[in-house]
Amino acid sequence: MAAGNEEQELKDRLKLIESMIAEGRCSTEHYGWTFLLWGVAYYVAIFWSSLCNYGLAWPITMVSTCVLMGFITWRKRGRRGNKPTTTIGRSIWSIWLAMGISMFVLLDAMGFSGRADWRITAAVAATLIGTANAASSIILKWRAQFACAVVWWAAAVVCCFGSETQSTIAFLAAIFFCQIVFGLYLMINEVRARRKGAIHA
Amino acid sequence: MPELPELNPVVHGKLRLALLSLLSGVEEAEFTWLRAKTGATDGNLGAQLLKLEEAGYVAVEKKFVQRKPQSLYRMTEAGRAALTEYVQALKQLLGGAIG
Repeated sequence: MAAGNEEQELKDRLKLIESMIAEGRCSTEHYGWTFLLWGVAYYVAIFWSSLCNYGLAWPITMVSTCVLMGFITWRKRGRRGNKPTTTIGRSIWSIWLAMGISMFVLLDAMGFSGRADWRITAAVAATLIGTANAASSIILKWRAQFACAVVWWAAAVVCCFGSETQSTIAFLAAIFFCQIVFGLYLMINEVRARRKGAIHA
Repeated sequence: MPELPELNPVVHGKLRLALLSLLSGVEEAEFTWLRAKTGATDGNLGAQLLKLEEAGYVAVEKKFVQRKPQSLYRMTEAGRAALTEYVQALKQLLGGAIG
């Protein structure tokens, strides 16, 4: 009887180690809102630029979204305390940061130089976002995110071969599935994880 | 008959084991984050972290961020080795039934 209790205690210790290591590494689900935010931002920029053909619609929307994201992150940190840095987290953050800077520099340069039409711009943007999604999914071994990368790359191909209308539809569809739907899916996962509560040790 | 390994008493404490496991997955962590993840009280958490620090298993860096004190904990190489040895001993004691 005592030996059985001892064995159970040792098994519990092993489970505790596994759950705590997983808890420490768990961070990706808490960024579901960023996918949703950027999805909405892309829609706003597309709608705004198509409405009045205003060249600064994209840069203004993107910079505003960056500021808003920074503010929300700051507020979240204030409420819950800073999340610790993990090597995986830093790797993923570096990919998205590099992608964001590349997209901002390249697309603005293309826009202001007047050497790009909508289809080329959309193809470049879709390729860059697809690359970031693919790299993140490989690090996280996450098939759902890799599927998002495939959708973005497919949209990029449609933008290269299709008409302007087809390109717009492909780009809008990619935003809907890979930013809005994927973001909501992540947020639902986050709420489910929170409901499980803190693991008391 | 092979001799059964002894479990390191510093690592074996439930809260200390949870703390070492949490720190093994991150580069460094704040006191508040460790408290939220373990559900421990400030006093108990501080005492257990001090024991781990005295054993050389964690290192602490105390600083002020926006005039607020902040304690950052990270696992040392000795702590990582102790946790690895503990897990191996645990598996050996369980007779290879797990993992």
